[in-house]
Amino acid sequence: MDVIGDYGLILIFFVVAVIFVLQPLLLPYLGKPVVELDINVLKRKKLLLYRQIKELEMEYEIGNINDEDFHSHRALLKQEVSAIITALDSK
Amino acid sequence: MTPIAGGAALNLAFGFGILTILTIFFYTRNGDQRLYLTGQRLALGVSFFVFLATFILAYQLIISNFDIDYVARYTSLETPVVYKISALWAGQSGSLLFWLFILSIYATVVILQNQRKHHGLMPWVIISLVIVQMFFLVLTNYVTNPFKATEADFIVANGNGLNPLLQNVTMAIHPPTLYLGFVGFTVPFSFGISALVNRDTSPLWIQSIRRWTLVAWLFLSMGIILGGWWAYRELGWGGYWAWDPVENASFMPWLTATAFVHSIIIQEKKDMLRVWNMVLIILTFTLCIFGTFLTRSGVMSSVHSFTASSLGPIFLAFVFFILIASFGLMYTRMNDLRSTRRMESFTSRESGFLFNNMVFVVMCFSVFWGTLFPVISEAVRGTKITVGPPFFNQINIPIGLILLGLTGVGPLLAWRRTGKKNLIRNFTFPILTGLSSAIVLLIIGYRDYVVISFSLGAFVTATITTEFIRGIRARNKKFKESPFTALKMMVSKNRSRYGGYVVHLGIVFMFIGFTGHAFDKEKEFSLKEGETEHVAGYEFELIQLSESERPNHYAWISDLRVTKQNGEFVTNLHPEKRVYFHRNPDVNRRQPHSELDIYSTLNKDIYSIFSAVDTENGVAFIKIMVNPLVRWVWIGGFILVFGTLIALWPRRDS
Repeated sequence: MDVIGDYGLILIFFVVAVIFVLQPLLLPYLGKPVVELDINVLKRKKLLLYRQIKELEMEYEIGNINDEDFHSHRALLKQEVSAIITALDSK
Repeated sequence: MTPIAGGAALNLAFGFGILTILTIFFYTRNGDQRLYLTGQRLALGVSFFVFLATFILAYQLIISNFDIDYVARYTSLETPVVYKISALWAGQSGSLLFWLFILSIYATVVILQNQRKHHGLMPWVIISLVIVQMFFLVLTNYVTNPFKATEADFIVANGNGLNPLLQNVTMAIHPPTLYLGFVGFTVPFSFGISALVNRDTSPLWIQSIRRWTLVAWLFLSMGIILGGWWAYRELGWGGYWAWDPVENASFMPWLTATAFVHSIIIQEKKDMLRVWNMVLIILTFTLCIFGTFLTRSGVMSSVHSFTASSLGPIFLAFVFFILIASFGLMYTRMNDLRSTRRMESFTSRESGFLFNNMVFVVMCFSVFWGTLFPVISEAVRGTKITVGPPFFNQINIPIGLILLGLTGVGPLLAWRRTGKKNLIRNFTFPILTGLSSAIVLLIIGYRDYVVISFSLGAFVTATITTEFIRGIRARNKKFKESPFTALKMMVSKNRSRYGGYVVHLGIVFMFIGFTGHAFDKEKEFSLKEGETEHVAGYEFELIQLSESERPNHYAWISDLRVTKQNGEFVTNLHPEKRVYFHRNPDVNRRQPHSELDIYSTLNKDIYSIFSAVDTENGVAFIKIMVNPLVRWVWIGGFILVFGTLIALWPRRDS
């Protein structure tokens, strides 16, 4: 009896799983995939650059880098952020 | 539920796995989103059936269904319930199912977490995860099935029982922790492969896996430390690391993973080292699989290799498949992997990280070579030449000390380049601290590695302290915060940076503990009740020798009174000599075991082992070891875990 009961239980699990899996195929056509939007990628890049600027400022404040390196590096990072903001604005 | 249901669940998981790969592959070709959703659900189905099979096996272990070979071999009626559950990973087929179970947990979380994210990366992430699941499903379905019926020649009415060495709380936690680490690297590896397939080798995929990598690294570190703790408290040889092949199997991926944890910071911040990061994550994952191969194939003999099997060729084939497929794919993507930026200066944090990466990889190679040398020598010359701890120590102690030194150097270097003035300013205090420590130690009479290790520890501690103090001062100056508030704000706003420093401090503590090994003392002797013996400035008196019958073993218990030479009482130790399965009429099946007792302080451990007992004459054979600074290793482990948790804590801006 145990064996029959187990096969029955597994069958139930299987049927439920099949219904769960097949359900999306019954939906109307959803179109082509929305592959990682450029805009999101740019936003993530911007966030990354902001974090770098903050970290650079902290390094400067605690005295790990000198004036010259700080200003030149920050200018570079800001330039990159500006380019991303321009790209984001154009979207 | 019967074992038939378990076997059926594994078969269904296998079938769902094949369908997942096919469905998502077709989705990548025609872009019909319904196929992707179906693929996601199929992948969840694979995990569901694996969960079901694992729970069925756990249930069979708890109810002692000896009709299943695995249950009969690794449990008995007397086995406590907690160890019946831990028997799930005690044997070969169970542990492979457990690997698969953990991978399925990770896969489920990854799929659910990214249902609406990373549409570009996720299809191939799922395919990669399911391919790894399929490998373990092939093993558990067709090679070593945990639901196999008990063979006619192995019918044990009472069950064979679990190895006494595994009947320990640490051993109930250590393997799952280690597996969570091993298996966890499948996630960053899958993202890496997907990034290669999609030609998306920008720092963005690194961002997606940073936390996953740290989680896996944390568990792997905890697993290694717990393994050392277990070996120290259970195996009775007085140490926590023996360069055993199975220990090395977990240490090798830890080394490459640690290099990866550092180098992804460079790719995330500077978009450099793209190729190097791919190489590191492929190597780390391959070494995780290779580690499982070493543990489970029986290719090596060690205290951990409780089983020998015919899994070797299949595992080795999978290792080669991963290497060829991953590096082959990487080769076709070399143009995409070229970084646009270059190192600007030797005195930059980037170059410091790169150098530390190189040292980690060199160390990994030396451990790899030492571990495999006996196998290679046997294959080539027919004789097995064992490479013992002296080889590993000779090579890895200097490398380890270089790494310890670099732990202090890295934080003092700035990104891009560090000016001469800053270099002098940043290094002066830590170097002076290190040098003055070395001079004091030399005057006291210490020599060689002991001096180098302690003074490097002082150097690194000075670096970390300086970084914290400077940060607090800067915030205090800028925001007029109290030191405590400044510390809190500074850490919460820069979790990965300061969490990393705390991890480094943990490493310093561990090195102090390792160095204490140079001063170990030991002595073996026999005692009758009332007799005394002296070891390393302590007196040991056997007060009483008693015996006790317990549910799953018989024990002789010694009551040792420990005093200092001046008579000052220190502690009482109670090491035991046990015999497991003592009721088994077959004497050969009874298993003797020494349960040791340790008196532990920050300064030293007094480690007592009851090696043997002469019941007729009432003599206890005792071994005493006095091991300085061992506790620092475990405290260092706690600090390391704490630091990693700080680094893992989510940022507010994310």
